[in-house]
Amino acid sequence: MSWSALLGLAIVLGLAPLLPGVAAKTRARLTGRRGAPLLQLYRDLARLWRKGVVYSRTTTFAFRVAPVVLVVTAVLAACLVPLDGRRALVGFSGDFVAFAALLALGRFALVLAAWDTGSSFEGMGASREVTVAAFAEPALFLTFVALVLASGSLSLGGALGAPLAAAWPSAAPALALVTASLFLVLLAEGSRVPVDDPATHLELTMIHEVMVLDHSGLDLALILYGGALKLSLFGALLVGAVAPRAEIPPAIAVGVLVAGLLVVAMAVGVVESVMARLRLSRVPQFLTAASALAALAVILLLVR
Amino acid sequence: MTLFLGGIAAVALGGLALVALSFRPRWAAAAFQLLVGGGCMAAVLPALRVLSGGTAGELRIRATVPGGDWVFGIDPLSAFFLLVVLGVGAAAALYGVSYLSSESGAGPVRTAHAVTALEIVALALVVTARSAIPFLITWEIMAVLAYFLVVFESRLPDVRRAGLIYLICTHTGTLALVALFASWGQLAGDLSFDALAAAAPALPAGAALVFALGLCGFGFKAGLVPLHFWLPGAHGVAPSHVSALMSGVVIKMGIYGLLRLVNLAGAPPAWWGWLVLVLGLGSGVLGVLWALAQHDLKRLLAYHSVENIGIILLGLGVGALGARSGAPTVAVLGFAGAVLHTLNHALFKSLLFLGAGAVLRATGTRLIDRLGGLGRRMPYTWGAFLVGSIAIVGLPPLNGFVSEWLVYQGLLRSGAMAPARAAVFGVAGLALIGALALACFAKVGGAVFLGQPRSAQAREGREVGVGLLAPMAALAFGCAVIGMAPAVAVSPALRVAATLGGVGRGAAGEAAAAIGPALTWIALTAAALLALVAAGWWLRTRVLSRRPQAWTETWACGYARPDPRMQYTAASFAAPLMAAYGRAAGVHVTREGGAFHTHATDPVLDGVALPLWQRVLAWGQAVRPIQQGRLWMYLLYVLGALLGLLLYLALRAGGTGP
Repeated sequence: MSWSALLGLAIVLGLAPLLPGVAAKTRARLTGRRGAPLLQLYRDLARLWRKGVVYSRTTTFAFRVAPVVLVVTAVLAACLVPLDGRRALVGFSGDFVAFAALLALGRFALVLAAWDTGSSFEGMGASREVTVAAFAEPALFLTFVALVLASGSLSLGGALGAPLAAAWPSAAPALALVTASLFLVLLAEGSRVPVDDPATHLELTMIHEVMVLDHSGLDLALILYGGALKLSLFGALLVGAVAPRAEIPPAIAVGVLVAGLLVVAMAVGVVESVMARLRLSRVPQFLTAASALAALAVILLLVR
Repeated sequence: MTLFLGGIAAVALGGLALVALSFRPRWAAAAFQLLVGGGCMAAVLPALRVLSGGTAGELRIRATVPGGDWVFGIDPLSAFFLLVVLGVGAAAALYGVSYLSSESGAGPVRTAHAVTALEIVALALVVTARSAIPFLITWEIMAVLAYFLVVFESRLPDVRRAGLIYLICTHTGTLALVALFASWGQLAGDLSFDALAAAAPALPAGAALVFALGLCGFGFKAGLVPLHFWLPGAHGVAPSHVSALMSGVVIKMGIYGLLRLVNLAGAPPAWWGWLVLVLGLGSGVLGVLWALAQHDLKRLLAYHSVENIGIILLGLGVGALGARSGAPTVAVLGFAGAVLHTLNHALFKSLLFLGAGAVLRATGTRLIDRLGGLGRRMPYTWGAFLVGSIAIVGLPPLNGFVSEWLVYQGLLRSGAMAPARAAVFGVAGLALIGALALACFAKVGGAVFLGQPRSAQAREGREVGVGLLAPMAALAFGCAVIGMAPAVAVSPALRVAATLGGVGRGAAGEAAAAIGPALTWIALTAAALLALVAAGWWLRTRVLSRRPQAWTETWACGYARPDPRMQYTAASFAAPLMAAYGRAAGVHVTREGGAFHTHATDPVLDGVALPLWQRVLAWGQAVRPIQQGRLWMYLLYVLGALLGLLLYLALRAGGTGP
């Protein structure tokens, strides 16, 4: 356990709410608006923290524990990502299976909470959420396979660390495909355009937002924070794949991560301002394309 | 071995006691519970000894029939499956006592319990048989007893139909097994497993015929796609504890058979490994997809057995490829994943079936869209079902995650072995299976236990008694132990895997060293997960105690009187995925006026097997006129046959004559 890994974790946990703000600001600027402040999500979280909660009489324990599970699983998943480019706090052979499974557990809890309200809106949102996830999961795992093949390491610490840096020169095309695929997965898992639109105001067109319609106060704050953390984790994977930084000093490596996360958030904002969201029935095709890119990368690495 | 035989004798005796003591029902039930529970516990001890490195004796019966002596013994593979048989068997049998107590007609119920006990005995003998003749005999006994258990409610036409399809399929499978042992036995001195193993190198074409017949025969029992079509019907209509026994244990005999085949015949040919891998992928993806389409809780769970057999086959396939390509670590990890997932699936699937049985007892319906809100009324059943759901989806901190992680390990490491590198694509398949399983159990858990009751039956559901809850609690405990302390189960699984495919004991040590630290980390992650959720819950409660809390209706866009009928249904929940997979999902939509109905068909049973059977029947009708019962016609046939024979001989003599 190194100080730089802890520093990376602290920075990601602290900066996570900034990323949606950066994405929204970029989108606003590019579309000619001033937009909400960069720190809007921090303000929202602080406001929700102070507020009371409203519960539906239909709900049970499942509804109230879900936000806690979401945040805990996201934090544990963060411990598995090598945030300083060297070693994660927790790293073991096959740890990315645990990474995906932890995030899936958080999703499972939220989906059950949506069922718990007995609302048809939330049921619809939950249904869409699991559909999107079912198509995103193979793409995510294929990018992991490609990283494992490129680096020869079965752990995220190695697959995004020094062995990957050594592999970049010889496997650049495959790794570029991995990066592209990972970015598409990030858009889906982070509930961004073109899969989902965080700025929409009509329940019928939402995915993630409508699933958490009945949460309020502290519960909603936890869900918003968990979502932002998840977005930054995928961003950290992306930065790790593009810029393996085991060779540079740890403090700078963490700095590069922060800069990289901001760039990813701006890229998300650019995507949001240049394209509309896809029709829901097109989303599987979009994510299948992500799987296809990653599969192509795997093939390139296999025949290398 | 004496302890084992004594134990299963006690189980059999427990079954008979129930019938013999029928004049004292309370004594009979007590004797049954004591003897079956105690017998299973006694018989499992030698298995545990073998798994921890010890040995158990052998039982040899001088046989007067051909095929050599009848031998029974316990090796690591047998021992591991004995854990499955006896653990899940005891839980299912004890659950059955309370479950069937509300059925009318004491006679059939007593018989059902006695047959359940005998089924456990037959299963235990199948996995300990050491030669082909007793193996086939106990196999047949097991299959036929299972038939009688399935048709318990034989007054219903659905049940009779499902039973018949099951019986036909299981016998077709046995036919392939008889052919397997007959063709193999020709080369061996007798039909004992030792002799067969010694003859394995002499088998022609890399034992291609043996492996093909084994995949067919054992595949029917395991229920892999496309040989699965008997399974959902039979498991769906059987009494719930029987479904648990069948899904948890009986279909695992197919897996046992495949593993035994790899154990005796050594590393399978490469095509067999690929075939098993592809069949595993197909079974996994299609099984979970068809499960998503179901409206009937128990049929849905039955399709999940097909899915999990697929995951087991993925492990077996990559293990076989590893053994063939000289990558013993890959082989051991793949085999160990298959073996451990067999145990895990037995635990969580029987838990889920027992939970479904509790729901059925409490409400009287298996239709998911007529249930809802049961979590409030049946909190313990809900808790047990939730544990089973998290386990089957393969999420930490439970056991499903551990075995799926092992299979992932095997698949990922296959990328480094030259001839079988493409097996890494199995990773994407397994990820898809996992994500679809999450969707499916979110659908079941949500629609059955959360929200508001969708019917009067669901409104009247009450928590079931301790007789049903205790076996569920025991199985849930098993899931939690393997999830929280994976090394407990992984090291025996590695020991078993080292006996398969001729990889050798050293490979198990290498594999154990490769994943040892990871197992510790998984245990720590699981513990941290539980501790952090508990801490988070405590913090949240403290913060909220200082905030105002209000209770109101669910938000429905301003609509003031939400109604249970306004809830999302399980069918709509699955609809986007069903639509994305189109015809492969096997969902048929019908429109009646303003109402939409969807019903799920089985593409193999309804699309292939039944039409094929109709075709066979039609051919039968076509040749029917030759049988009319008139003597002169049969004389004519005899004359024709004689003439034909003479003609043949004359022509043949003319062709090759002197």
